[in-house]
Amino acid sequence: MPALHVTFRVGNASYVLPASDVLHLESYDGATHVPGAAAYVAGLVQVRGRLVPVVDLRVRFGLPPIAHTIDRRVVVVQVGTRVAGLIVDSAREVIKLDNTAFEKPPEIIEQQTAGFVKAVATIATRLYLLVDVPRIIGEELAP
Amino acid sequence: MTERVDLQEFVGAFVVEAAELVTAANQSLLEIEAGNAEGAPRPKAVRELFRALHTIKGLAGMVGVEAIVEIAHGLETLIRTADRAGGHLRRAAVEVSLQGVRAIGDRVRAVAEHRTPAAAPERLLAAIASTDPTAEPVAAGPSMSSAIDARLSAGERQQLWQALGNGTPAWTFSFVPSEANAARGLTIGSVRAQLATVGEIVKVTPRTLKADDGTQLGVAFDIVLISTASREVIADIIVGPLEGVVAIAPIAAPAEPPPIDDTSEADEADELDEAERSDEATPIGRAVVRVELSRLDDLQDQLSLLIVSRFRLEREITAHGERGHDVRGLRRVSELQGRQVRDLRRAILRARMVRVAEVLEPLTLLIRSLARASHNEVRLELDTRDAELDKAVADRLLPALVHLVRNAVDHAIEPAAERVARGKPAHGTIQVACREVAGNQLELTIRDDGRGIDRAAIARRAGREIDDDAALLEVLCSPGFSTRDVATRTSGRGLGMDIVRRITVGDLGGEVRLASDPGGGTTFTLRVPLTIAIIEVFSFECGRQAFVVPVVAIEEIFELGDAGITPPSAHGGRSRASLLERHGKAIPVFSLGVELAIDDGVHAKKALVIRRNGEPIAFAVDRMIGRQEVVVRTLEDPLVHAPGIAGATDLGDGRPTLVLDLCELGLAIDERGM
Repeated sequence: MPALHVTFRVGNASYVLPASDVLHLESYDGATHVPGAAAYVAGLVQVRGRLVPVVDLRVRFGLPPIAHTIDRRVVVVQVGTRVAGLIVDSAREVIKLDNTAFEKPPEIIEQQTAGFVKAVATIATRLYLLVDVPRIIGEELAP
Repeated sequence: MTERVDLQEFVGAFVVEAAELVTAANQSLLEIEAGNAEGAPRPKAVRELFRALHTIKGLAGMVGVEAIVEIAHGLETLIRTADRAGGHLRRAAVEVSLQGVRAIGDRVRAVAEHRTPAAAPERLLAAIASTDPTAEPVAAGPSMSSAIDARLSAGERQQLWQALGNGTPAWTFSFVPSEANAARGLTIGSVRAQLATVGEIVKVTPRTLKADDGTQLGVAFDIVLISTASREVIADIIVGPLEGVVAIAPIAAPAEPPPIDDTSEADEADELDEAERSDEATPIGRAVVRVELSRLDDLQDQLSLLIVSRFRLEREITAHGERGHDVRGLRRVSELQGRQVRDLRRAILRARMVRVAEVLEPLTLLIRSLARASHNEVRLELDTRDAELDKAVADRLLPALVHLVRNAVDHAIEPAAERVARGKPAHGTIQVACREVAGNQLELTIRDDGRGIDRAAIARRAGREIDDDAALLEVLCSPGFSTRDVATRTSGRGLGMDIVRRITVGDLGGEVRLASDPGGGTTFTLRVPLTIAIIEVFSFECGRQAFVVPVVAIEEIFELGDAGITPPSAHGGRSRASLLERHGKAIPVFSLGVELAIDDGVHAKKALVIRRNGEPIAFAVDRMIGRQEVVVRTLEDPLVHAPGIAGATDLGDGRPTLVLDLCELGLAIDERGM
């Protein structure tokens, strides 16, 4: 069954998320720093009035920081009752992907991405990495 | 209006409020009277009186008690003149005002007892209209205390004069009920009965006894009695001191405004058994105490302090246990106390709750007037069941609901002819329903059976595509967006949807959803928390980031001298405390910037003093910004759980500002070891 997926870029790689997990895409112009939170937590933003903690995926994936660009986006995701934002380098397209298109990620990718990628799909010559959102926003932190 | 709207609910609220305002008006009048006796006007009391009457008028208008509106309006005019004349309300005007307020009180009582209030007495209205508030009294004052005089109605005063004129003595004294007296069967009722056997009771007025600091001590009854009995006999009856019974000297020439014959309610009521009526001492709205929200907030603040100290107690017990002491007994008591604190917390929360039915009541009146203005017949159906909501949430939410209902009447409900042509009932219906949902939230739906929202038209106007209801809501909520170029009388320009969202989502941390069925109607669904925390905070800057901290947590704020605090680099890594002398005591001062690892603390100019384990410690910050009331939202997500971070708020810039718990930070420092 083909399902809509939101695609975004972090570093040189393209990632996807099921559109059903995404609440909105917002432009990103900084977050309120929360002292004492994990380093990958960029802080808090207010999205349509709602307080949303945001995770900087560059930091989470161990990539060097980049200068702020107007392309940066916050992908607001919902996992169970939790709502969080993922800061990505850019996010533009929504594509249709069939579930069967996904395969287990090659070992090298699994290692490089510290387990944040749970499957990969190749469309044309392009590789899309399906991210494991619960893991990114720290499922181990959940009460 | 639909039958389903329970006006009774609102009438109850009216009765409670109006009764309070009547009391307030009487108190103001008595104060003005006392001022007159001293020859000093009381402009503040005059203004308070005006406000009370003005509010009574408004309330009475809403429930449609014309008689009260008329009397209050007359009095309002009179008092306004007095206010403009420097707050002079002379005796004759005070007298006529007291009669007017009493007439209002009688009618409020009638409403409370489900009787039809009598029409406003013409003579009273005429007397009010013809009174010049600034006119000096015609005759010299009576020898009795003007405070007592002021409380007598014209009829009662005449009764007193007649007696005094006939040479019958009159007395004034107070009876103070007490538990001891009550135990002996001595109550105001029994005192009245006994006094009635020795004379003629003119008036019994209850009065609140206040301590110097304003706390209420109880009630006393001021009694005016015509009696040939001796002072000793009276003192005996009231079990009071002999000197407390004061004779009222005869008045030579009563020169007073003509007594006004208010034959309606008031006199009928007077014929009731005095003892049974117990006069105005019986509050009209029984078992309802109205408390200022700020007092409940105080309670909550105190409770938070209690929770903090309980936390410390727990730690102490644990520490003792670790030292090998037997702490089982302590532990049991502490657990019991923990449950009690939780119960207390629930009880305080409950005290803040109001019935949603009451909150929504103004909507019924709003619809009535909106429908009249738009010439559409619109019915409101409320289904609130027994839902309750924090008063603070309710107060903030109402404007959002007003906007939604207004929009529905103004934009959604079609004219009757159009509705009939579409096969709908001629009258439009707006349903407002609510229910409690998981997560301590209240879900409100505002549903109309109007034309629905024309998505294509909105898309054209907004100049962008609208795929679904969520996108539609997004466009409608953009500031200033309007579907009409011409402002209508009821909605003004713009839909106010941005306000609806700001209130619901921004202020209350809730959500708004929209479902529109073209031709069939529109449903807005709001979800708001049942309760919110509003606290007064200091805002300040530290390491170029703004923070706020609850005012109650701060004992003192002082300026750091030019020296500031010792740069932490001297100690390497995290700061140790610098010691500063304050009130002859050395206070450890920590750099907040260093503690939060956001700054090196060298720009610190101010220090905030808190208490930690009873000892003062201070945190140095860069600069203070201000002091304000904010809605605190808790941070549920574990991603942003960190020591000392108590929540977040919006200072108005649309960005979250963190609320700090400096006590927790202080304790964290303790744990680390100073």
